[in-house]
Amino acid sequence: MSDQKLVNLTIEGRPVSVPEGTTILEAAKTAGVLIPHYCYHPGLKIAGVCRMCLVEVEKWPKLAPSCATTVADGQVVNVYSQKALDARKGVLELLLINHPLDCPICDQAGECELQDYTFQEGRADSRYREPKRFNPAEDFGGDVLYVTNRCILCTRCVRYMGDVAGDRALCVEERGDRAHIGIAPDHDLSHPWAANVIDLCPVGALVSKDFLNKARAWELDRTASVCPNCSQGCNVTLEMRDTTLVRMKPRSNSEVNHFYLCDEGRLNYEWVNRADRLETPMVAGKPASWENALAAAGAALKGATAHVVASASLSNEALWLLKQTAGTGKFRVAKGAEAPLPGVPDLALRADRAPNATGAELLGFSRADQPLAGAGAVVVIAGDDCAGLDTGALASAKAVIVLGSVVPAGAPAGAILLPIANFAEEEGTFTNLRGRVQRYLQARPAPGLARASWMALAGLAAAAGKGGVYDSAEAVFGAMAKAEAAFSGLSYDSLGLKGQMAAGARVNA
Amino acid sequence: MAITTRVVERPTDDTSYVRATFKGLALTFKHLVDPHKVTVQYPEEKWDIGPRWRGTHRMLTTEDGKAKCVACGLCPTVCPANCIKLVPSVDEQGNRYPAVFDIDEFRCIFCGYCQEVCPEEAIHLGRHYENAEYDRKDFVYDLTRLTSQTHPVCEMWDPADPRGE
Repeated sequence: MSDQKLVNLTIEGRPVSVPEGTTILEAAKTAGVLIPHYCYHPGLKIAGVCRMCLVEVEKWPKLAPSCATTVADGQVVNVYSQKALDARKGVLELLLINHPLDCPICDQAGECELQDYTFQEGRADSRYREPKRFNPAEDFGGDVLYVTNRCILCTRCVRYMGDVAGDRALCVEERGDRAHIGIAPDHDLSHPWAANVIDLCPVGALVSKDFLNKARAWELDRTASVCPNCSQGCNVTLEMRDTTLVRMKPRSNSEVNHFYLCDEGRLNYEWVNRADRLETPMVAGKPASWENALAAAGAALKGATAHVVASASLSNEALWLLKQTAGTGKFRVAKGAEAPLPGVPDLALRADRAPNATGAELLGFSRADQPLAGAGAVVVIAGDDCAGLDTGALASAKAVIVLGSVVPAGAPAGAILLPIANFAEEEGTFTNLRGRVQRYLQARPAPGLARASWMALAGLAAAAGKGGVYDSAEAVFGAMAKAEAAFSGLSYDSLGLKGQMAAGARVNA
Repeated sequence: MAITTRVVERPTDDTSYVRATFKGLALTFKHLVDPHKVTVQYPEEKWDIGPRWRGTHRMLTTEDGKAKCVACGLCPTVCPANCIKLVPSVDEQGNRYPAVFDIDEFRCIFCGYCQEVCPEEAIHLGRHYENAEYDRKDFVYDLTRLTSQTHPVCEMWDPADPRGE
């Protein structure tokens, strides 16, 4: 900060101090004024094509596009002067000339910037009497549908694909009133990060085929979470219609994913809604109460050395309680192809397709391709990662304790099954591959008698005579931060919703 | 103190029932001869209800008989009684339509917001009051019932005076 010169100016009567080179639009945000804009996006290069962000700068002969004008000392900026309002009203009227009146069937309605700004500043009626231009919708491939009529040609998608994704698939075709977004021959939007154009599009021109007609934007309940599909740990928002997860959207975090989320991450969520869940504790194939099931599991664990199979999809809290209860063990991580986003440093769909492999390793668990191999008399399996494993080793086991959200395939008939919640149904933290500890919040209730994984494991630890009493995930995290050097100094308060680096990872980095 | 009784002398006009009886009978015979009816002879006669009467719902249809509704979700959003259940879907031509559109008429408070908010002028309150059913569940009107009803619909505002001035 010391080498940056601060510039003082006045925006809407409020004194603002921002670093030199900031645009008026960004400076206005610090003053609490959101200047309407379409083509500007903080993650993209400045284009200045939409003319929506025109503001009046005193002593300047013309209005200035605030997204492309840098601040200067002593400027007095009027965002809501009559001249600026008239100019923006004119821009909106022209944008709406060919924009269809199909808000009732448009997926963007409710989160559409054209709707918002028209409502704020636009004309109540249209003076255009000619028939509107009509173009058919076009399938752009991937998850993207282009509804040509709704496009306002802000070119955010063109700039994103060219500058950030590094795949010049999109361009503006034709000119004047025939202009529309075109796709290059032999290209489609199957780039692994292409679906971000849906979030970038300020109107309903680029819509998700997956989300099409599923829900209205205002019906959704939004919860801050972390993408569980790879070890990058992109911050996401879970959007639920009633208790069904209908889409995942990126939540901006300049330390992790900026504004983006990969296609695989955003589209791999249906498993959260699966209905065939393990809903009651089972002992030897019969439903049992939590008390009886935990007592049986605790009795099996007492005095025995357990073979522990963990999962990289469990939270740090659950893994630490698992370590307290039965010691560390092995886990398996599903692998996939890595897919970086060229325009953003250190952002990729990672090869480890699980959110918390780093957390498990910091807590002393180790990777293994066959984590069940060498299982002894007592086996504890936590998480759902054992599908498809050779379960032959379990046949000779005296006691098998499984904590899972679904009925595990290949578990022996005498196993004790404890139902746990998935990541959308509990609170917890994941540690991403750079060691950033990030919280995720509960978006919906767990089915049946299933408990949050930290709660089930805290009960198991108590039944085995090895744990304290915890009443929340936060309390478990606090105890873990005291006990584990890798997490020392962290708490839910200090993590906030953007996360913090774990102490252990800070040393390694 | 001894209890005494005071006899009040009243005029014969007040104490005689004969006069009152004939007065009452005179009114009865007057109506028998000249029936000035006040009671509406329901169900032979029906009350003329106003153009802004808000009764049970009706869904208007297009010429091909389909509901005009595009499942935009505004009516369940605006409904203060939460009585509209809507599940959107898409047909083969890519048009949005309501796969489920149920209105619980027991929960409805007949405020008319659904009609006012509807961008397609599909859902309307009816100028209609004969709602008796044999079963409680029949008061949840589904799309088939809503579209097949034919009674006149509410005029939310006077066309000659749309702003209510």
